[in-house]
Amino acid sequence: MENIKISKGFKVALAGMPDLSVIQIPEPETIAVSALDIPYIRPKLLVKENDPVKTGTPLFCDKRNKCIHYVSPGTGIVKQIIFGQRRRLVEVVIALDKNRDKKDEFIQFETLSPDDIDTVPRSKITKLLQEGGLWQCFREFPSKDTADENHEPPMIIVSLNGNDPFSPHPQVVLENEISFFEFGIKVLKQFSNRIIVTSRQDNLSSLNRLNGLKEHITHIAPDFYPAWDPGVVLYKLKRTREENRSWCISAEHLVLMGKFLLTGRYPVKRVVTVTRSNDKKPHIITRQGAPVKDLVGSLDDNSLITTGRFNGRYVEPKSHMGFFESTLTIISDNQKEELFGFIKPGLTKPTASKTFLSCLTKTPKNLDCNIHGEERACINCGYCVNICPVDLMPNFIIKALLSDDIEDALNYGLLDCCECGLCSYACPSKIELTKLLSHGIDAHYKDKE
Amino acid sequence: MHPLKKLLNSSEKYFTGSGKFNRLKPLFDATKTFLFFPSSKTRYTPFVRDSLDLKRFMSFVLISLLPVLIFGIYNTGFQAGIARGESYTFFQAFLLGSSYVLPIIIVSYAVGFFWEVLFAVIRKHKISEGFLVTGLLFPLTLPATIPLWQVAIGISFGVVIGKEVFGGTGRNFLNPALTGRAFLFFSYPVSMSGDVWMAVKNSVDGVSGATALSILAPEGEKITSALSDSGFSLSNLFLGFVPGSIGETSAFCCILGALFLIITKIANFRIIIGGIAGLIVTAIIFYLIPGGSDSWMNAGPLFHLCAGGFLFGISFMATDPVSAPGTNQGRWIFGFLIGFLTVTIRVANPAFVEGTMLAILFMNVFAPMLDHIVMKYTASKRIPNV
Repeated sequence: MENIKISKGFKVALAGMPDLSVIQIPEPETIAVSALDIPYIRPKLLVKENDPVKTGTPLFCDKRNKCIHYVSPGTGIVKQIIFGQRRRLVEVVIALDKNRDKKDEFIQFETLSPDDIDTVPRSKITKLLQEGGLWQCFREFPSKDTADENHEPPMIIVSLNGNDPFSPHPQVVLENEISFFEFGIKVLKQFSNRIIVTSRQDNLSSLNRLNGLKEHITHIAPDFYPAWDPGVVLYKLKRTREENRSWCISAEHLVLMGKFLLTGRYPVKRVVTVTRSNDKKPHIITRQGAPVKDLVGSLDDNSLITTGRFNGRYVEPKSHMGFFESTLTIISDNQKEELFGFIKPGLTKPTASKTFLSCLTKTPKNLDCNIHGEERACINCGYCVNICPVDLMPNFIIKALLSDDIEDALNYGLLDCCECGLCSYACPSKIELTKLLSHGIDAHYKDKE
Repeated sequence: MHPLKKLLNSSEKYFTGSGKFNRLKPLFDATKTFLFFPSSKTRYTPFVRDSLDLKRFMSFVLISLLPVLIFGIYNTGFQAGIARGESYTFFQAFLLGSSYVLPIIIVSYAVGFFWEVLFAVIRKHKISEGFLVTGLLFPLTLPATIPLWQVAIGISFGVVIGKEVFGGTGRNFLNPALTGRAFLFFSYPVSMSGDVWMAVKNSVDGVSGATALSILAPEGEKITSALSDSGFSLSNLFLGFVPGSIGETSAFCCILGALFLIITKIANFRIIIGGIAGLIVTAIIFYLIPGGSDSWMNAGPLFHLCAGGFLFGISFMATDPVSAPGTNQGRWIFGFLIGFLTVTIRVANPAFVEGTMLAILFMNVFAPMLDHIVMKYTASKRIPNV
């Protein structure tokens, strides 16, 4: 096991860490496949409203590669297909069939066996995964797009941890699933010679319980956000230009993949966390695409529900969890407008700077969803540079982007950006740096197409 | 609800939409956000934001200036006492100093603020906090005897030409406070140099109002002893009981402020340390050159450090993030060259006794180029990702 040396990141202790206990919530009435968290997708629908679907029936595919299917995680009928602005597909909602004793009717796919996986051609595995709706688990750098099947990745990074500091703990996710995980690793070896498995430093001790997992871990990332992010890991590990097109996959998705290839059935079980400051909620076992309101319960205040405080998306209580989303963060709204608030000593205010007394204490802090100031012009203070885990200079890159100088932005390393959101977090001028950087990356992606 | 908040809410309708004073909306917004910290919700990722904002950032510079300001006011009264041949208690000196210094600060803030509001109203943007610092830094670089109309002209030049014509705080490439001072320095040299550093009309005989940097030793004498003879001993220069611009005299207070800025990470320590290193190295080099023992060439690093406005400039002016380089390597070079140029101008250029202001302005102009070179270099070190 190698330690990855990362010095920059978000080091403030946060309140509201989820408990390691697990509860199972009752089967939801509706589930959905969201298109909002799938990168760059141009969906083509394969079902109509009121069509009956089985677990594993393709709901839509990607126009860019029609072999990649997105399948139903439950048995029932298509209740509603929701479109957003400019008829962009938002969700395909499925009403679960209640009369079948909660038993799913599966579409049966071909199975592989762990003994002769080495002899199975790569194209066959690819085809199975694409039809079974799990190819999307592979994401390809630099833009973290769905992986290109014709590309041979120089390395595949498996991340045991999710996008948020409080994403599901790998111990809970991998409990009783180690055989699937190991089979998944074998499958990955058919795609690339170099498999990197990373874990957070503080998770290591609790992972001892899981037999055989530890020997797969190749790299350990320090314990502050976003050191374990595959983008950061890739930035620290890469030595050549070709490695920029590596793939990444989360351990949770690797387990799904292993399970699918071994059983031939689309796996629907998911572990999610719901976190809120001043709260210590257990991990929740539910079905993929569960409704948000079932998971968070009723909220009577103005809190924001997001799928990750730094890099998630905003979700409505009536919408559903996406394929890539495994955590819901409820961020409270602190509406109190303090008199002369800008000069208070601030013993409890979370900050990455050294201008509040709170930076001297180690007590966990509550983050709220307020901006704490107003947008101003960039004063080049360098707070974004000091926190960027991949050594970018967001202040210079956004100036290049704003003057349409994409070449300069790329030279400064724009595509290394892992969209962790810390630059926007730290900016005292409250500039939407992350948004500008993401737009730059998207613009470059569209240009390339 | 707080009564002030009530008042603001009830008067908001006059300043927004088609209200009577809707053109003054920036002024209303500034007052409102100054009194009550705004707390709107985030709309894009990340959904959480740091508690630090630009108001607090700039206020911390003001806090760091407090020791310099308080000592400057006291020293103004103290020096006036010496010139009048009277000895004042601390309180008397402070009171007398206030009568000279406070009007300068008030004029600086009032006139500068007028320009800020005017530009904010015309451009329909919010009033930036950057002026809070400029409005206090500028008076601290002036002699206490400066006529108030010159203060008004100077701050107007600094704010309008030094900053607003380029688009306001964040887009200026020169330090606005120093731009204003440079304007006064070259336009009204009589008010800015010579025997203007003591706040008194008629001084008693034998008391000179010159600053340490304008001292030249008589033939055959060393500069250091000549300085001590004129009351500019090293301890006096360090503590600041000497004539000079309001804020610059006390090296000790400048160091206090600089430490505060470094610990809170508001100012970048690289500029300050680099600047001091540059000054010391250059002063030693000049010291080692034979000859010139009667001039500042031979004064050595400690006198160069404590005399004049170098520590004030490097701590509060050069660390202005907008006009300094944005790269760490650039900041080292920037600071070092300010130190180098300060000594070089002091020693080698007989036209200007003080070099800090010109050194900082000169390096401000070069900051973008330093950044450009450093960015090119660091970009070439990255593994390309295109």
